[in-house]
Amino acid sequence: MKKIRIKGRCEYPGCVEAEALVSPMPLQGFANVSPGRGYTTERNHPLFKVPYTGKVLVYPSPRGSGGFMAYGRGPLKPAAFVHTVASSLTVLCALAAHVPCMTDFEEDPMAFIETGDMVLVNADEGYIEITKKD
Amino acid sequence: MGTAVKLTDEEKRVLDGGDGAIPQVCMQYLVEMCEIAGAEKLVDLDGTGDLHTPGNQLSPFYGFSLEELEKLAASGAYFKIPTFANKSPFPEQAPIHGWENCNICSYQNRDNRQDDPAFHEKALHEDFFRLYRKMGMMTSHSCANYLTMTYLPSVGQHCSWFESSQIPYCNAVLGARTNFDGTFATCFLGKAPYYGMHITENRYGTVLVKTDRLIQTDMEWDVFGFAVGADVACEVPVLTGTGKPTTTQYQKLNSAIHTGGGVSMYHIPGSTPEAPTLEWALGGKKPKRETLIGETELKKAYDTLNFHTSDNVDMVYLGCPHLNIVDVMLLARKLEGKRCRIPLWIMTAPWLYDVAKNLGYAKVLADAGALLMSGACLAAMGAVPEGVRNLAVDTAKQAYYITGCYPDDENRLQVCYGSTDDCIDAALTGRWHGEWR
Repeated sequence: MKKIRIKGRCEYPGCVEAEALVSPMPLQGFANVSPGRGYTTERNHPLFKVPYTGKVLVYPSPRGSGGFMAYGRGPLKPAAFVHTVASSLTVLCALAAHVPCMTDFEEDPMAFIETGDMVLVNADEGYIEITKKD
Repeated sequence: MGTAVKLTDEEKRVLDGGDGAIPQVCMQYLVEMCEIAGAEKLVDLDGTGDLHTPGNQLSPFYGFSLEELEKLAASGAYFKIPTFANKSPFPEQAPIHGWENCNICSYQNRDNRQDDPAFHEKALHEDFFRLYRKMGMMTSHSCANYLTMTYLPSVGQHCSWFESSQIPYCNAVLGARTNFDGTFATCFLGKAPYYGMHITENRYGTVLVKTDRLIQTDMEWDVFGFAVGADVACEVPVLTGTGKPTTTQYQKLNSAIHTGGGVSMYHIPGSTPEAPTLEWALGGKKPKRETLIGETELKKAYDTLNFHTSDNVDMVYLGCPHLNIVDVMLLARKLEGKRCRIPLWIMTAPWLYDVAKNLGYAKVLADAGALLMSGACLAAMGAVPEGVRNLAVDTAKQAYYITGCYPDDENRLQVCYGSTDDCIDAALTGRWHGEWR
């Protein structure tokens, strides 16, 4: 089966493999995420009410409130975070989540990962490995 | 992680527990933040700080007890930089003023009501704040502390602020330097991870924004900010072709640009302090790209901010971010001698509430049937009064967040977004007449 490996920077260490949930749009926190239900509540968002629990949450960048950190809070949080652009918001999220988080990839992971692909996030060794669903 | 954080001998001593338990946990938190951000060192803060309170839980993995804080305050310890409190205390987010008439539940918890005196007293967390005040915190409780702090950081000073609308205000409008990291740890130790907005190179413009509509009204600045943010995400936009923003318009621009996107810094050549010219704003380099936020993009953003099928409005909320005193004065002028048909809630900063009272605005607003409040907002409280199904607001930030509190089909909340005058009209008539013109 075809595997794609991309090197990146570890934000928070660890190694986990799980199914990807890809957000084509930036993600927003505060009132637009429900850590108690485990999904985004942003109206019109492609991931509106799509559960992220246990997934590798893949997104281009964060936006909005410091309440973005809520994606990393509680038992329903994702298994890992993979994002193209880092900012203070992704730092806050990693601080809250303590699950593998990676960014600053050699190639944009958004161009390779689709929802349903299996993604190994090896933040300890600085790469992700994508196994395409078909 | 993997970045080796270079600490000074003094910082190492704090990390090793030489100054006690709370300084140690604060330093551990900052070192971990450095590792995540890729920061090689800490920067000594010489500006101001701001944090969500009580804030003893720095993250789920770093915190300290009230008893430990009591001992720290008794030892004579104090915040190392002038430190202010962000809006009303977590998690309840009770209004500081006006709570007696705030007939909503607390953050989707129907057992707790904001207008319950016992709940309100508990929600203020005075057990923490008596200690924080002893340590020097000025408990301003506003999302727009720059309006009332009376002590603004100067150009180039390193700060540690929180709140999405305040971050670009600090960086772009004041020319001071902050990441989105204001916490007890940064303010108490007077240090923050050195990355992002603390570094000159990261502050230059990267995306040149043009517009074919002169941005000059309050609502235009708000919609423009939202549209720019959505376009540039976390880049540093240079805004050209606009008018020069007023204080109110800066408030709207900053809150909207960090709602539509994640913009910590922008430039308006000729207006903001680090952009005397376009070339200066870009650091002498070519932008990564140019983008047009014109009529089409603005109309699209306006339509995104509106989320309603009915023009029957149940309630109007103004004050996101907290209103400056001029805006309170203008509302009083526009509402004098009139009577609201539906609830109109107006939120300002706690330290301006008494000013508004002394100047007579609070009475004018009360006589018109409006409720002047301070310190919180609807989205932060996470609720609207029971029965409200269509809310009118005049800021992109509130318009875009409040519906997130009501994601279920059986109780979806509609939002009418428009100008302040559209909202006043809705308060007086119960109908929405706003449109993009």
